[in-house]
Amino acid sequence: MIEKLTPSRVVFNIINYSLMILLCIVCVAPVWHILMASFSDPRTMMATPGLLSWIVGKPTTEGYRIVLSNPSIITGYRNTLIYVTSATLLGAILTTMGGFALSRNTKLKKPLTIMLIFTMMFSGGLIPSYIVNMNLGLLGNPLALIIPGCINGFYIIIMKNSFEQISPSFEESARLDGAGPLTILLWIHLPLVKATVAVIVMFLVVQNWNSWFPASIYLTRRRDLWPLQLFMREILVQNDTKMISAAEAASSVSLVNNLVKHCVTIVGTLPILCVYPFAQKYFVKGVTLGGVKE
Amino acid sequence: MSKATTQKLPQEQKKRSGTSWKRDIRYNWGVYLIYLPVFVYLIIFNYLPMFGIVMAFQNFKPTRGFLGSEWVGFANFIEFFSRGEFPQILRNTLIISVLGLSVGMVSAILFTLLLNEIKFTGFKKGVQTISYMPYFISAVVIAGMIIDFTSSNGIVTNFLVSVFGIKRESLLTNPSYFWWINLFSGLWQGLGYSSIIYISALGNVSQELLEAAAIDGANRLQRTWNITLPAIRPTIATMLILNIGSLLNVGSDKILLIYNPTIYSTADVISTHVARMGLERMQYGYSAAVGLFNSVVGTILLIGSNYLSRKLADTSIF
Repeated sequence: MIEKLTPSRVVFNIINYSLMILLCIVCVAPVWHILMASFSDPRTMMATPGLLSWIVGKPTTEGYRIVLSNPSIITGYRNTLIYVTSATLLGAILTTMGGFALSRNTKLKKPLTIMLIFTMMFSGGLIPSYIVNMNLGLLGNPLALIIPGCINGFYIIIMKNSFEQISPSFEESARLDGAGPLTILLWIHLPLVKATVAVIVMFLVVQNWNSWFPASIYLTRRRDLWPLQLFMREILVQNDTKMISAAEAASSVSLVNNLVKHCVTIVGTLPILCVYPFAQKYFVKGVTLGGVKE
Repeated sequence: MSKATTQKLPQEQKKRSGTSWKRDIRYNWGVYLIYLPVFVYLIIFNYLPMFGIVMAFQNFKPTRGFLGSEWVGFANFIEFFSRGEFPQILRNTLIISVLGLSVGMVSAILFTLLLNEIKFTGFKKGVQTISYMPYFISAVVIAGMIIDFTSSNGIVTNFLVSVFGIKRESLLTNPSYFWWINLFSGLWQGLGYSSIIYISALGNVSQELLEAAAIDGANRLQRTWNITLPAIRPTIATMLILNIGSLLNVGSDKILLIYNPTIYSTADVISTHVARMGLERMQYGYSAAVGLFNSVVGTILLIGSNYLSRKLADTSIF
């Protein structure tokens, strides 16, 4: 639509564009502040009351040296990578299989779909799930972060809708050639729903990278199995930096603590922030797909 | 291709629904086999906990299990309702939730409409992408940032002290600030992400109608109010139903990380109460009862708001 630029329109545009720029600044500023603080001299940093727009004082990478040489952070990183990879892989495979099976015209299609949707509307809740997982021997077991929660009804429905978009003639002709359902799924249908699988993978990666609560209740005492988020919680939330500062007893502890906190935040967030510009278009797609009603 | 699909489907379904179970199994056993892992998963991790809800009516002891624990009827529920903290927990849950729901939805819709007025596509895409960014940051990091920024010499505290002259203190130790801290951090994190659904709904807005209205002399506000908003109304109604259904499920993730005993009076909500009583004090039966109360009220709210929306706005999700 071609718009005439009346004076009121120009005023509106100026205000609107400024608002949007302001919004972007608000979104980015806190993260930028922490990034700049992580390179700033902690003493000058303490004396600066407002948001940082650039590094203050003498630039330093001391914080990163402390954080990246810390064994806990390295353990956390390694564990998180293992959890994210295995939970995502398992989740994506099961979601694809589930979505495919529910998209076929079987006699049990309806009851099985209802059984799945019911789990999205009603759940046993935190405590009964905890007791069930405890009885399955998942307490102190790294599988607690991989198996429970790898399936989400919502994702299976997205997958099912996507498979249903494929013309049944593909399956029919393959069946006539003697192909079984697994062959059809792997060689004919899967390549056609690659984009939806990518959406599910993205959701799972972000969700597993950021997850901390299950680890905090199932792996409470197994520090060797903690994901990065739990070590970050200890440093950032419980304000317990002794595992990091012990080695640095010589320097002024509280100043270094703050520097370390800023560096930990960046170290733990950077991977996801590097992925997100690519991931976000899949997220948009996922949310939109989820909005499609049966 | 899509036309062929829609024409073929009714025939196909008719043919299949006529087949016997025997034929279905013979033809589809492979499909059922593919579903088996998911089925087993759902039984173990979704349906077993649902049956585990019986513990809400028990004095549950893990060593005795679901079958051996002593039955206590509604005692756990009565204990919750007669607790001194009950009114406070319920009030906090409702206020935090309603505040987040209303402010969150209104700002997301407003943001969508304002963004829609921007015709420079590159700029629009850029704003959208940047606005999603906070959603990808983990709850632990968000909590860490909140704690840092609201500490007695944090940047938010400094700002509020110099502008509004509030007392200098760690804001997370003063109960009167908690709702606002929670609201604004949630808004910061969720605004861009929750607008995705409305932005995609804008595709339904009829361009011809907008042009016709413009020719007839309707101004921008009138066009937005009378054409754009009604076009995305079903989406708004759907989101409202879903959000009302989860009114009591205040995300405990962030609150569990940032609250502390000094601000329980405003920060303790049902889900944090469940986590604390169940996992720290190991009152399993009691916590399961509180969780069940939460689920049941949630389901009633979902069905109720769905019914109202179907009656009033002719939109429903089931």
